[in-house]
Amino acid sequence: MSYADYRDGKPLIVTAALTGGVHGKEANPNLPETPAEIGTAAAACEAAGASVVHLHARQENGERAFATERFQAVTDAVRERTDLIVQHSTGGTGAPLSARRQPLRTDPPPEMASLDMGPLNRYRRVTSENTLDTIDELLSEMRERGIKPELEVFNSGHLTEVHELLSRAELDDPPYATLIFGSGTLTRPTPRNFLAEIEDLPAGAEFNTLGFGPHQLPFAAMGILFGGHVRVGLEDNVYYRRGELAESNAQLVERVVGLAETLGRPVADPAEARELLGLSASPR
Amino acid sequence: MDTCPHLTYRSEGDERSFDTERAYCTVLDEFVQPMRADVCNARYDLDPEDHCEHYRAHEGIDP
Repeated sequence: MSYADYRDGKPLIVTAALTGGVHGKEANPNLPETPAEIGTAAAACEAAGASVVHLHARQENGERAFATERFQAVTDAVRERTDLIVQHSTGGTGAPLSARRQPLRTDPPPEMASLDMGPLNRYRRVTSENTLDTIDELLSEMRERGIKPELEVFNSGHLTEVHELLSRAELDDPPYATLIFGSGTLTRPTPRNFLAEIEDLPAGAEFNTLGFGPHQLPFAAMGILFGGHVRVGLEDNVYYRRGELAESNAQLVERVVGLAETLGRPVADPAEARELLGLSASPR
Repeated sequence: MDTCPHLTYRSEGDERSFDTERAYCTVLDEFVQPMRADVCNARYDLDPEDHCEHYRAHEGIDP
């Protein structure tokens, strides 16, 4: 997790966040919502260089779905078409813990699942709570099912929570934290804040870099140069450039892979990504 | 409150069209984000009167 890692040619893991749980086709008609659309998008992202796919499920009308059956349909569609590392979201603003457990219960379970490390505001009057009890309960079920947590760090307070989590719970090496930059509750998107957070990561941790909206590409560039990994996709950014909607998730993956290649950072295939993340060598 | 009285489901509006009817806010005259649709539908512990700033402004409820 340093510039030396970049110089040493550590492979870059590219995560494609295809759908999300906030906006939908009303924001970008190219955002995949159905299992078939998500499976097709995942295959295109794998061909473009992604090694991890971050998944949410939707109802037929595009609204959020938490039921295991909906996640099963999505994850089956992805597994049929790719060897990507499957990472399910357990995020769920307003949803109870019982709903947020559901994405962990597919057969087989996902190889990874997101774990939001604390509260964040949504809109004017909604907060995604993510209490410590919620975090510990989700983590406990992940451990039971052999799922590696992706620790989502929306601000530097959440990074403190990562350190405290590691002091009270057992996580397989390496801990994997996604550092998130943007507006609102998120860490303010400045290079100084990026450097401060990567210097404050737990020893041995790997980090993923996520910039929302217009920060997606520049923060991906920083992640590439400082030995981290990157997440791109329509969940986090519906534009290709200012005023121009992205054509697809794969278009965003292609751009960041091209940037890595220009900078001389090799891009991990799914097998290399599994090795870097300490996962079993073969897909589930 | 049950479902927001300003919520409808449409396949066309706001200069867009969809294959499936989607949540539409008649206060804003625009399609609703999926996450916000859970507020409109009063799902989980969400409620338009408590959690939607647009409902509250329309109804003249103080912040």
